[in-house]
Formats: sequence, C-alpha cells, structure tokens
Amino acid sequence: MPRSEVNIIIGGQQGAGLETSMAVLSYTLARSGYGFIADREYFSNIKGRHSYTYLRISSKSIPRSLTYPVDLLAAIDAETIFTHFDDLKNNGVLIYDKASNTKKLDAIPSIEEPLRERLINKLNSLGIEPKISQLVEYLRNHRGIKVVELDFAGLLNTISRKYKLNPQQASRYVSSIVIGAVSELLGLDAEALEYGFTKYFKERRDIVVQNLEVANLTRNIIASYEINDLKLEDPLLKHSELLVVSGNDAVAIGKIIGGLRYQSYYPITPAGDESFTLEKYEKLDLDGESVSLIVIQTEDEIAAITSAIGASLTGVRSATSTSGPGFSLMVEGLSWAGMNEVPIVITYYQRGGPSTGLPTRGSQSDLLYSIFAGHGEFPRVVISSGDHLEALYDAIEAFNIAEKYQLPVIHLLDKFLANTLTSIPLPDLDNITIERGLVTSNGETYKRFNLTSTISPRAYLGSKAIMWYTGDEHDEWGHICEDPVNRVEMYSKRMKKLELIDKEIPDNKKAVYYGSKNPEVLLVGWGSVKGVALDAIEVLENQGVKAAYLHLRILWPFPKTYVESILNSIDSTVIVVEHSYMVQLADLITMNTGFRKLKRISKFTGRPIYLFELLEAINEIKMGKTEKMVLTYGA
Amino acid sequence: MVRDMNFYKTPVWQDWCPGCGNYGIIAAVYKAFAELELDPSKTVVVSGIGCSGKISHFIRVNGVHTLHGRAIPFAMGIKIANPELEVVVHGGDGDLLGIGAGHFVALGRRNIDMVVIMHDNKVYGLTKGQASPTLPRGIKTKSLAKPNIQDSLNPIALALASGYTFVARAYAFESEHLKEIIKKAIKHKGAAFIDVLQPCVTFNDIHTVEYYKNRIYKLEDGGWDPLPREESEEAVMEKLLKAFEKSMEWNDRIPIGVFYINPYVPTFEERIVEKNPSYKTNYPARQVIDRNGKPIVDINVFKKLFQDYIVNVKNKGF
Repeated sequence: MPRSEVNIIIGGQQGAGLETSMAVLSYTLARSGYGFIADREYFSNIKGRHSYTYLRISSKSIPRSLTYPVDLLAAIDAETIFTHFDDLKNNGVLIYDKASNTKKLDAIPSIEEPLRERLINKLNSLGIEPKISQLVEYLRNHRGIKVVELDFAGLLNTISRKYKLNPQQASRYVSSIVIGAVSELLGLDAEALEYGFTKYFKERRDIVVQNLEVANLTRNIIASYEINDLKLEDPLLKHSELLVVSGNDAVAIGKIIGGLRYQSYYPITPAGDESFTLEKYEKLDLDGESVSLIVIQTEDEIAAITSAIGASLTGVRSATSTSGPGFSLMVEGLSWAGMNEVPIVITYYQRGGPSTGLPTRGSQSDLLYSIFAGHGEFPRVVISSGDHLEALYDAIEAFNIAEKYQLPVIHLLDKFLANTLTSIPLPDLDNITIERGLVTSNGETYKRFNLTSTISPRAYLGSKAIMWYTGDEHDEWGHICEDPVNRVEMYSKRMKKLELIDKEIPDNKKAVYYGSKNPEVLLVGWGSVKGVALDAIEVLENQGVKAAYLHLRILWPFPKTYVESILNSIDSTVIVVEHSYMVQLADLITMNTGFRKLKRISKFTGRPIYLFELLEAINEIKMGKTEKMVLTYGA
Repeated sequence: MVRDMNFYKTPVWQDWCPGCGNYGIIAAVYKAFAELELDPSKTVVVSGIGCSGKISHFIRVNGVHTLHGRAIPFAMGIKIANPELEVVVHGGDGDLLGIGAGHFVALGRRNIDMVVIMHDNKVYGLTKGQASPTLPRGIKTKSLAKPNIQDSLNPIALALASGYTFVARAYAFESEHLKEIIKKAIKHKGAAFIDVLQPCVTFNDIHTVEYYKNRIYKLEDGGWDPLPREESEEAVMEKLLKAFEKSMEWNDRIPIGVFYINPYVPTFEERIVEKNPSYKTNYPARQVIDRNGKPIVDINVFKKLFQDYIVNVKNKGF
C-alpha cells in the first residue's frame, strides 16, 4: 500500500554531509511534486557532535509539523542509532553503516553524560549490551525493525578507485549513500534524483556524476532488500513551480522584494544565514538595471543597528538581523529609533536563552522582551510569522509598517523557522504593495517633527531640507527641548501612533482564526506554533472534537479588541501554546484583555513541539487533569 | 561667493561653560565650512553624547545627535547609503575612545570617506569630571577623589594603528590652524581623524590653557611632511613608523598638525564599487524601489533573481 506520508530521521556527525543530504533530497522531492519540511537539529559545533535532520514528506500537502515515532532512521554513525532508536516506529526501517556494529556506548565521547546515563539505564532495563550490534539485533528481533546494513567504506572504496579520490575526498560522498538509500526506499524516480544533485552542485557536472553513481550503487543494494513499506503514492499537489527555501532564505527574498538596500549584521546563529543569502544579491540585477544592495558585517550589533538607522535617515529601506544576545546590544539604538521616529526593521530570530543558552536551538521566549525592551516609552510594532510564506510576506510588510508609521518594527521569528527547509508556492507579487509613507521634498521651512499631525512628513538626509535629530526630547526642528508643554505634545504624538496602527491595520493581518466557530478547545499561539497547532485541530476535528486555533500575527500593538471579542464570545477550553517556560503570550493576553482563564502548554527544550505530544497535552488539559503541561520530547 | 561663517550658525543657544574649548572648535568648524562652501543640505554633522555631542544643534547643516559612543556607526550608515553627503563626526575622548572605541578602530579598518573630530579634554565633563581614556595615570584632576589609576591611551598612535589615512592633532584655541586642518581632513579621501586638545575650564585643572600654551608647537614649523615620499610600500611604511614615533612625543613639547596622510588606500566606497560598479551611480539613496506602489521585482524578475531556489515540478500525477 503506497504511503501518503513518510517521516525520516537522518543523523550523523556535524560536518558529515547532512546538509547536503537534506538539500539534495529536498530538491528531489520538490521536483517529484511532494510536499516536505526538513528540520535541522544541531549543536553549537563545527565538526563532530551529533546532528540530525527530521524530514517529513507528504503526497497530499506541504507538511506543517513533525511527529514521532518515525518510519525510517538513516544512521551515518553509531551515535545516531543510540540517540534515536526509540524514535523509530515498530516495524520501521533502520539503515546503518556496518562499521558501527563494533561501537560501544562508552567509546563515543561526543554523547553528553546525561544522555549516556539515560541510555545505559534504558539498555540495561531491556537487557541489551551497550553495543550497536546488540542493539540492532534487539531492534530486529523485538521491534520488528527492517534492518539494512550498508558497507559505507566499501561503497566509498569503489568510487575512490574509479575516480582516484583520496580518503578525505571520498568521505564527502557519504551524503550520497544516504540520499541513494532514502530515495530508493521512497521510490523516487531517477530523473528527479539527478535534478536534485544538479540543482545542488550546479555546474560542477563531474561532482554530480560521481555522487549520482554512489547514490545509484546504494539504490541497487537497497532494491535487493525488497522493502516496500515506505514507497510513496503519486503526489497530488498541483504546483508546477515551488520555492525551496529555509526561513532565513524566505526572509531574505522578502526583503529584496520589499526594497531593502542596506542590511547590517554581526554574525550570530540562527540569523546569519539570512545575511549570507542577501550577500549573494549585493549586485542586484533588476531586469537589466543593475543596482547595489549593501550588506555590511559590522564590528558588533550596536554598530549594526545604529548604522542601519543612519542609512534609513537617508531614505533607504534598512534592516538588521540578529538573535537574542545581539538584540540585547541593539536595545539602546532601538530606543533612539523610537525617539527619532526612524523606520527600521529588526529581524529577530529567537534561540534558547538566557545568556548563550542553547545557541543553535529554538525558542519563543523573547516575546515579552521584544515588546518591552528599551528604556522609556516609545512606539514599536512587533510582527511574527507562522511559516515560510508568511515570513516572506511579513519581511515586505515590516518595511511598509516601519515607513508608514515611522518607527522600528521587530519581525519576530525563531530558529525552527530559520533553519527548516520547505517548499512553498511562488509569492503572489500582484497583491504586494510598497508603501513609503508621507515624504516631503519641501526644503525651506521643513520641520522634521512637525506637530500638526501624528505622522510628520519625512524628508531624507540629502534632500533639499535641513533637519536635526537627537535622542534628547526635542522640538519640532529636532533641537533639544526640555520644556514640559513641548514634552507632552511631542511624547503624545509619538505614542499616539500605536492607536493609529491599531485602528488602521485590518483584523485579518493582526490575527487569524482557524477552525470551528464554537470550539470545545481553542488553541492560541504565534510564530512557529502555527503548523503544529493547525495539525492538532485537524486531528481533533477528525476525532469529533470541535477545535480552533487563534494565530496571532501582530503582537504589538496587541490586537486587544479582536482577541477580547473572540475570547468573550466562546465557552471553550482556551490553551496557549508556546516554546517557552512561562508561555508569555498567556500573560500578554491577560495584561491586555483581563482574560485569565488560560491554560498553558509549554516547551523549552529547544526542540520543536511535536504533534503527538501536543495532542496528549491537550487531552490532559481538556480532561481537567492539569492547567499547564510541559513538553519534553526529542533528542 | 564665499559664505560668511555666520551662515552656518543656528539660533540655538550654545550652553557650554564660558571659556570652554568647544567655542574654539565650533568657530573653526564654521570657518572651514564657509571656506569650503559646504551645502548645508548635503552635509551631515553626526555627534555623540556629552558636551561635544551638542555641537550638531549649533551648526546649520543636517545634524544627527546620536548615542554615547555610537556617532561613527550612525555616520557610516549615512555615508554608505548616500556617499554624496559630506559627513563629519564630533565626539569627546570618552565618547570615541572609551565607550565607542570599537567603532573608532573599525572606521580605520574601513577607511570610509569621513572626518572624525575628537574633542579631547581628558575628562567626562557633562557628568562632572570623571577621568577619560586620555587622562594619564597618576593625574588628579579637580573632581577625582584620588589620582587616576588607569593609563591613558595615545589617540594618534591608535588612529595610525587602526588604519586612518589622515591623522592630525590640533588645539582648540589655535582656531586658524584647526580650521585649516579641518578643511584638509574634509578634502582628504578616506577616514580622517583630528585629535583636538581642549581645556575643560570647569573640571580639568591640569590641562589648562596655560598648560597647552607652554607646550604645543606646530609640526610644520619643524618641516614635518605627513605624506609618504612616493606610492610604495616602503615609503608608506617609513612615514607610518615616523608618525608612530612622533605620536609618542608628549609632556614638555606637544606637537600639533597633520602627522600622517596616506592617499593610496582605497576607501570603503571604492571597495564597494570594485565589487559592484553600479554603486558609483546607483547607491542605495538614489534607488527607486517601487513602480506606483508595486515592487520593482515583478514575477519575471523574481524568477530570474531567485532561480536557484525555484524547482520546476515534474508532477508524476499528470
């Protein structure tokens, strides 16, 4: 029976070619017309630590969430088998390297001590010696796992002999063993696989040929096992073109469409890849006309935000991109931008904190920080995206809001979205607008902070006008002024923008309600909770439970009227879901609406919320067993 | 028409202490701007925080009064986005070499075509006279409880080491001399640094007018030539080493004037042009990003630009 969905974990050492496997398989799947998402989990490490990709594939739709157990575990090394054997479904498939057989748990230095202890206890309780050959035997005999033992070294030898490669070069072909094995098990066609390799390696045809050869050698071996459980049914998606992007790419693409011309950044995970993508477009070829997009690596995040503010003063759409530690350094600049009514976009990819925290893992624990960071009171807008397509559109919208209301906009994302690869339809550019706000070219009597309207027309540095800016409270000219009457007028003018924004931005851009009208369970979330929440309400509906999800898009100014009207019109179990300890959104809702009957589902391991654990938690809460559930699954 | 220096004055009252060195500095700035006939709408004074930071409000050109220590990166964003603008940074010694030292060094590495004028009075005036990074160890200025136990740094040597291609020192009350140096610095192509010695009449009772009057002398009076004799690595190195050596001179005799000029280092703007020639004419501030409210990137441009990310689906279902 062909499958409509398959879940796969591919694991190995960081630096062993997992990213290549993930990218080539992604292109191959997209070429074949399947939907997929590929989540990347890795340590803060260049080479050697355990890293894995979770690939979820569907013939019917573009998957939105991940769940356990998985159907296939493809293990490049022994650590992957030890770490993930329990993630594998009974009767699932294990592919591994023969060389792992002799590996013992205590001989793997990269396994962290708490996991090693848990594994020792687990294996003891199962009566298994902590050695791969024993564990594999157990999986085969007691879990019904179909085991495919591959001779990685043998395969690499074949290719090295033929192409005269040294061992280091040959080791780069490990990724193609995995690609070959997975594509054969899924039944992907040869043309799509070649397309995948070509898309990834581009003009380097010799590399494509050699990798394809490794993949095909592997496919032949796998075919002899006659495992048909994971063969995919023909795809039912109707796209003729798909965009294969990470969240970082989606934002970079959105920014370019939105007219970004100055981006400054200081290297930080998981924001860096966005700027690397932008750097590829420094020479921007717009239909024959070549223009320049400036991307500057600054000396620190303070210079990143302050130089972007400087660029914005000249009328250029400017942004910076960072994560929590970098944002912390930007806060004084943020406050200056608020005081001086400067349009600026800060793309903020959250990771696990506090401090260095979990630098390569995901989190949503900077919600309140992004809303309240900064001394003094000033208007800002915080928007968030729930998936890649939203992120692309929001990257454009962020500039429109920033320029229209002349204030800093924080575009809040997270590592899950940043590093997950997926396929999305091409954006609908016909419905995108570029709104640059009120701009004047009047040079003679220009007053930058004219009090006659809430939004004073902007003039750019370099235009005919002369203007002054200062972080001090100022008069209409932009000169320092501590007069109490002026203070009240100028301060109020700035703060009133929040009311204006709340009035002018339509409800459907602030929040989106999905699902049944009078639900038994209402989930509330934001950002990357969207996918798993939508999948959860779908499962609940299929089980006969009326369910809905309220997805918040604009988090500040908080859409209080809209959220209040929904919460007051239903009699549901309301559960706020967030990747944080506090579930900060619940407190934000209470603060803004007075609504307190909120249950919480929390996860702060740095790993994404998985569908199965979310459903279990909803069930516990629905049955009245608890008010708050903390989720912990995942390696 | 040579503009009158009064043209560059704003009506904003200058609230520095009577006798402050800033009056000497601003007079030189007015005169330099007037003699160069700088267009106020094409000129931006970017300042930091402290007494010196207020200067942008007193000059009738665009003024951006920024954050403590951050004037340089603000100025960088302005200049890179619109290289047509003349950008002059003013900051104090605490502002530029204490809290903002990282940016000060980074500007040297980039050699962006702008001028940094440092108001160097060796104290934090506006916060009541604490020691700044240019106050030598063992000195006790008026409001210090005990002599300073941190060493001073050498702004000239630091600027040279950081890569500034125009490095000078001046004295606030040698206004004519300072004016000439400011003019040269503005005309110089690349990052120019001027360390302006300045008495703080209220909080620095050591580095007073008297102190400087007896010590300063002009480099050019001794025949100092800041330029390398030719465009060769050896000539540049020779001049740089001499400038380093000269920068160590302090105490009884304090040299003022231009220590070093290196006209051979490409500016940051030129480095961008090398990567992307369109920057020269189509720099960010010049660009139009929409057509009647629609993005320039339409679907055809999109498909060309982002072809690396686009997969043509060969759907098995069809």
